[in-house]
Amino acid sequence: MTEPASASRLQLIENLDLKAAGPLRSELLSLRHTPLDIDASNVQRLGGLCLQVLMSAQATWAADTIPFAISSPSPAFQEALSLFGAEDLQPFVQQG
Amino acid sequence: MSKIVLTVDDSRTMRDMLMLALGDAGFTVVQAVDGVHGLEVLESMAMPDVIITDINMPRMDGFGFIEGVRKSERHRATPILVLTTESDSVKKERARSAGATGWIVKPFNPDKLIDAVRRVAA
Amino acid sequence: MDPLEAIKVTFFQECEEQLSELESGLLAMEQGETDSETVNAVFRAVHSIKGGAGAFSLEPLVRFAHVFETTLDDVRAGKLAPDNNVVKVMLRAADVLADHVRAARDGGVVEEARSQELASALEALNGEAPLAPIASEDFDDMPGLEFTPLTVSDDDGIGDDFGFTPLAAGIIELEPEGPALRRWTVHLRPKNALYAKANETGLLLRELKRLGDIQVSIDPADLPGLAELEPEHAYLSWTIVLTTDRSQSDIQEVFEFVDGDCDLTITADDVPSSLPAMGEASIDEPFDVMALIQQAQADVQAAPAAAIMAEILAPAAPAPVFAASAPSIPVPVAATAAAAGVAPDAAHGAAAQQATIRVDLDRVDRLIDLVGELVINQAMLAQRVTESGVPRSSNIAMGLDDLEHLTREIQDSVMAIRAQPVKSVFQRMPRLVREVAAMTGKQVRLVTEGEGTEVDKTVIERLTDPITHMIRNAIDHGLERPEVRVAAGKGPEGTVRLSAAHRSGRIVIEVSDDGKGIDRPRVRQIAIDKGLIEVDSNLSDEDVDNLIFMPGFSTASSVSDISGRGVGMDVVKRSIQGLGGRIAITSRPGQGSTFTLSLPLTLAVLDGMVVSVCDHTLVAPLTAIIESLQPKAQDVRAIGPDAYVIAIRDTYTPLIDVGAVLGYRTTPLDPTKGVALLVEGEGGARAALMVDAIQGQRQVVIKSLEANYRQVEGIAAATILGDGRVALILDVDNVVAARRREKARSDAKLAAAG
Repeated sequence: MTEPASASRLQLIENLDLKAAGPLRSELLSLRHTPLDIDASNVQRLGGLCLQVLMSAQATWAADTIPFAISSPSPAFQEALSLFGAEDLQPFVQQG
Repeated sequence: MSKIVLTVDDSRTMRDMLMLALGDAGFTVVQAVDGVHGLEVLESMAMPDVIITDINMPRMDGFGFIEGVRKSERHRATPILVLTTESDSVKKERARSAGATGWIVKPFNPDKLIDAVRRVAA
Repeated sequence: MDPLEAIKVTFFQECEEQLSELESGLLAMEQGETDSETVNAVFRAVHSIKGGAGAFSLEPLVRFAHVFETTLDDVRAGKLAPDNNVVKVMLRAADVLADHVRAARDGGVVEEARSQELASALEALNGEAPLAPIASEDFDDMPGLEFTPLTVSDDDGIGDDFGFTPLAAGIIELEPEGPALRRWTVHLRPKNALYAKANETGLLLRELKRLGDIQVSIDPADLPGLAELEPEHAYLSWTIVLTTDRSQSDIQEVFEFVDGDCDLTITADDVPSSLPAMGEASIDEPFDVMALIQQAQADVQAAPAAAIMAEILAPAAPAPVFAASAPSIPVPVAATAAAAGVAPDAAHGAAAQQATIRVDLDRVDRLIDLVGELVINQAMLAQRVTESGVPRSSNIAMGLDDLEHLTREIQDSVMAIRAQPVKSVFQRMPRLVREVAAMTGKQVRLVTEGEGTEVDKTVIERLTDPITHMIRNAIDHGLERPEVRVAAGKGPEGTVRLSAAHRSGRIVIEVSDDGKGIDRPRVRQIAIDKGLIEVDSNLSDEDVDNLIFMPGFSTASSVSDISGRGVGMDVVKRSIQGLGGRIAITSRPGQGSTFTLSLPLTLAVLDGMVVSVCDHTLVAPLTAIIESLQPKAQDVRAIGPDAYVIAIRDTYTPLIDVGAVLGYRTTPLDPTKGVALLVEGEGGARAALMVDAIQGQRQVVIKSLEANYRQVEGIAAATILGDGRVALILDVDNVVAARRREKARSDAKLAAAG
């Protein structure tokens, strides 16, 4: 899968808690229909609600057949995914 | 970085006990004496990681305080533990429906207190 | 100090505050103020005492407080009407609670029968459970602090009382204990409320992971597409396979805070075949079935989840509920507005409550000492300036005047820091009145006024005894029994009024009753019988009334339980005088008596008369001095080699040579060459103190001699004068008493001489 040059980048914030879920969803929705590269390098905390948003976005992009990637995950982000058993999100995580 | 706990209790004894236990465990403790004071302190302090509040307090009780915190956009995601007694199942339920995250049964020993804080603090 | 011990000290201080809150609240309720604020404050006081007592394992206190609290909770909940009878029981319970607090603090015990009686009386009000079960429940509270994972029996009802439901019963009890590894399947489906209360699935998983090895699989079956997703609704569910040697209750405890805010099943995978019935130990059958189905689904999900999700999303006719709902942006706006709505109230509340700080008394005392030094320094400076001949109108002299003014103001302000309302003393009186009333069979109403009147802490501490005594006296001797009152055309209930007020730089405390007044003929007769006055003494009504202050006087014909404590009004008078105060009585037959006592506002400064004795400067407290006079040779009569009396208006008064008593001189002062200060000492005994000369009157700062040096006979304290000299303050009582110790000898000599 080649990533078009026009991919939008989204930098995830540090604390993806209850309060972050709404804004994250809005932000992602505003980028719908564009290839997306999400930078997870700053994430210190990932809560269940933001996980839902990311998983839903991933599925939505997949349904739209538009590239969706999460790159340079922070250790905390990776740990959270593994704790949540959200391995489904993992294949889409690009290292580095 | 030390985690910050806001304690809200009108009893000096209880505030001192909380301060002692939390301080020994390496938390930074900020104190307020009742619900109204608690909401005021929240406006000016650094984001607490956990709030611990008593229920029976003058001016504004724990229920009012919890509702106030949950209505605050800044603090609504902050975990709140209420201090309660084992026999207070009704109050425990009321506190939960007001938005409390969990509870600490009085009298508490330091281990149980720290345990409860850890369970709700990210 | 051990920090816990320090907290314990705080706890007992706080208990005292709570006890006064409790009492004043109950008294307000007795007056019909049964609004929720008053009732809540009363409840809080008891609740708070119980809470702290629990922390320190003060079991008898906790037990009694618990019973009391239960009754108050009923009042609060409107289940029990706080009528007069109820409040009376609670007032007595408050007294017992106070005894419990003090017993816990001072290491005593409260009389079991009394405590039990009140506990039973409280329970009778509830009309509920007897003491025993409540007490035992309390014991359960005590050591434990456990988030008790209730042991479960077949009875499902029990668990609900405690806010969470035990899931699998019996297994643990039936299995031999041991650290054997077991595999559990936990199915968790958070609800929206879980997140709204700031609980977090991630933290629950983290806690589970602390218990053992976990394999987590996530189920996104209900997750909608991004457009339909409500960001704060919960869609995901999890299945966790946990391998642990921990008990089922440990696993349940992880979910204690989210009980009801998630669907949860916990099942043991490897239940021994001998216990098939326990295998699916779930309280919730339907969910359990669902768990099985979902587990099956999870197993099927070997296929890439994305594909499945795409499939789910493909017929994307989304739930209209979600589609119609607004995006999340308005939420913060509304929430901010709501939060802002709280703020003005909060600010208002803060203004209403006066800010206070707690300061160690030692620091205040140090400040008072320093200000005392400042006053002395200022006086010295002023004296030097005067001595140096600087004109009074000069800038320096005027500046000094300003400084003096300022210094006085600082002194007053500093003294005000230590000032406390007499409330703390007054608050103890209702209990006393109840007890004395009960003991004497009289009906008494106590009315207090001026509780907010402030006076120095040193004075407050010494007010309790005299006031206690006067009130006891007013009820015991002043008020009549109900039937006597009714016969006299009064109401059956007598009134004792206790008031405090500031009057010309002193505090005036009055204790009055509407009883029978002083029975003058009887008082007179008793005084004659006891040889206190002559049979033919010509005494005014006022003189007769004042006889009750004479040592050893007692009007009670039968020694009652109250007055039979060996102290009379003479003791009250003496302790008042010890504080530099005066006491007076006015009485109207059939209408009652009023005791008025006036005291200095502080014991830290003193109005004194500065006198010279030999080459020493002494200060005599002005309050003790009745008058000063220059003895004439014809008024002085020798009654022995070193003993003289002086005739003052036809009364012979002992003449005491202060210089001789203090050992300043061995040759007695010629009375006609000195000045006599007529003083009244303890018990009203008068004496004339001989000094060489009077220098003037001055307010002096009292320095404790004991703290700085040691106790000296005849000397109460010391002070430093403007010229830097140390002056001793005379202990008038002591000097008079020192003279009286030789009285017998002198009398014998006088008799021999006569």
